[in-house]
Amino acid sequence: MPIFRWDQSWNPLRDLEREVDRLIQGVEFTVQGIRMPRQYPAVNIFELEHEFLITAELPGMQVQDLELTIANGLLTLKGHRDSPVVDNRDIPEERFRRRERTFGEWQRSISIPDRISDEHLSAEFNDGVLKIHLPKLEEELPRQIPVSSGE
Amino acid sequence: MSRQHSDDEPRELSSPEQFVFTPPIDIYETDEGLVLYADLPGVSVGSLELQVQDNKLTLLGKVEPQIPEGARPLHKEYEVGNYLRSFILSGEIVHSEIEAKLANGVLRIFLPKAPKAEPRRIQVNTG
Repeated sequence: MPIFRWDQSWNPLRDLEREVDRLIQGVEFTVQGIRMPRQYPAVNIFELEHEFLITAELPGMQVQDLELTIANGLLTLKGHRDSPVVDNRDIPEERFRRRERTFGEWQRSISIPDRISDEHLSAEFNDGVLKIHLPKLEEELPRQIPVSSGE
Repeated sequence: MSRQHSDDEPRELSSPEQFVFTPPIDIYETDEGLVLYADLPGVSVGSLELQVQDNKLTLLGKVEPQIPEGARPLHKEYEVGNYLRSFILSGEIVHSEIEAKLANGVLRIFLPKAPKAEPRRIQVNTG
């Protein structure tokens, strides 16, 4: 269960509300106990001087199968990973000695802070690792407010 | 390690080499040999070591630090580390012809089987 530890600027109340909703929807009660949902892909978020950086491990993804969109303060990552044996569909299940990797479609949304410039988002994908750069907005300069007398 | 750890930086972030993960793999068999896929996100061709010794295939993928210096972690769901896994090969694999390819963080290894000796007809000549 991801617990968002944003700065104050990440609007903690909004994140908390969303996380509680997700918690209630996703929990499964099984014979072994309560199972918490785990989102895919797992992400790490870092803050740098001029940007926020989101990283995710997506081995086997192709750049053309990755879709990043931003709307209403939500960054949505979407994609699908095809099985490598797609081009050899005649390989029957009994030919597999091990199957530990997972395939299929996935989608994940991450709330982004208000003080980023979503006009200049950029992303790179190297060696199966996705990095999304969210540049911070230029801090507004202090502005003088003229005070007039009531005369 | 010569690098200094600042107080507010978690130790595991500043020295990822201390984590070693077992990567998930798929192995299937074809008539020609075995095909192995391993998920190794963050591993480049230059940082992957594949070794065969005494019928043991070992893969070691080293992950270079990818986060810039001074980055402050705000939220963390996964750890970054190296990958290590080894396999015992059956005697029918031709070690000298093992092929490996790494693309987008996925390693594909082809382990060819030695061709089976075809039954050979022996001509019997009459005396």
